Amino acid sequence: MSLPLLLTGATPSTWLMASLSAAASGTAIATSGGASVHCTPTSLTDLGHLLQVLGTFLGLSLFSLGGGNTLLSEYQHISVHEFCWLTSSQFADLYALAEAAPGPSSMLVGLLGLGAAWPEGPWWALLSGYGAELAILLPSTLVMVVACLSWNKLQHSPWRIAFERGLGPITLGILFEVGIKILHTADTNAAGVVVSVVVCVLMLRTRISPLWFMAFAGVLGGLGVINR
Amino acid sequence: MIEQPPSHRDIFVGMLQVALSAFGGGLSAWSQRIVVEQRGWLSNEEFLTGLTVARLFPGPNQINMAVYIGAAFRGLSGALAALAGMLLVPFTLLMLLGVAYFSFHTLPAVDRVLAGVVAAAAGMALSMGFKILDQYWKDPVALLLAAATFVAMEFFHVRLVPVVLIAGPLAMAWYWPRGQHKGSQP
Repeated sequence: MSLPLLLTGATPSTWLMASLSAAASGTAIATSGGASVHCTPTSLTDLGHLLQVLGTFLGLSLFSLGGGNTLLSEYQHISVHEFCWLTSSQFADLYALAEAAPGPSSMLVGLLGLGAAWPEGPWWALLSGYGAELAILLPSTLVMVVACLSWNKLQHSPWRIAFERGLGPITLGILFEVGIKILHTADTNAAGVVVSVVVCVLMLRTRISPLWFMAFAGVLGGLGVINR
Repeated sequence: MIEQPPSHRDIFVGMLQVALSAFGGGLSAWSQRIVVEQRGWLSNEEFLTGLTVARLFPGPNQINMAVYIGAAFRGLSGALAALAGMLLVPFTLLMLLGVAYFSFHTLPAVDRVLAGVVAAAAGMALSMGFKILDQYWKDPVALLLAAATFVAMEFFHVRLVPVVLIAGPLAMAWYWPRGQHKGSQP
């Protein structure tokens, strides 16, 4: 724990205070799982914080398999447990917002960047949000351009075939883990879990727009049937 | 492809039209309707090839599709024009929604509604794995790989990057095409 803090420029006194307060409250720092985990943010300057956001998403871009949803639990880990940008329920809220809003749901990254810098004021937060989205898209866009221009050669290459067949099953495993992780993060009462399972089945069996499910569940939440 | 390739401006406007038409969903269908049927930029076959490439490579599918269309006519700068057209309006709207969220989410009424919406969104996330399960159902090795990946991440808390870097090459070696008996024998 001390190493990343020192590397990111925290002074020894902030590190000491963080360790002491963690020891005093008897909680583990940044362990995964569990809603009551105490998360201690690294103390960075505003610019340092922005660079942390950009670097994180630049590095993850090329791991966005299967249309980008494989990154969801990594996003959750980073923003809730590793860098403490958000609480667990804020992450769940932002995921739902990104799914409900028009446009590709991978724009969630912009919301995470926004949340990361929200304490520094809305304008800085917007800068961080736009930066985060650019950072997650830039490397994959460059690869995609190269792939388009050389597709004729790539199409029949054994590397292409092995990549497609091999990464499919891994994507499948990751997506199941992501589903369970988001369900945990949502952390609703029994009625909420029932709604989640029903929505899952309806998503698979019908072609109803998911916006209807969200609107209906939102009403159930407003009435107090679903809570957390 | 057509004789006069679309300019950067055309690409930007075309993708903007796709993004605006797709408010409420169906991005891929709208993109086909506008790019293939209305503007005639790509043949249906070229469009489907694009979808294959977009799904194969890292990155969100619909966004990769925009990159494919832009890059097909104007290379990297065309791809960036397509991305800007595709994302500018919906992303700015989402950022405004985000600012509203962080300003008001502590209000009890907002939090109660969101608790419900989150339950529905979790159901959508849960369905993602099941959606692609069918295509692997008859391949026991694929199911084993998927199960091992799931167990490593869910129970041993292995992070995504090491999972992909270790399991990826192993799976690629297994599925490496070998003449007649493709991938069925080690």
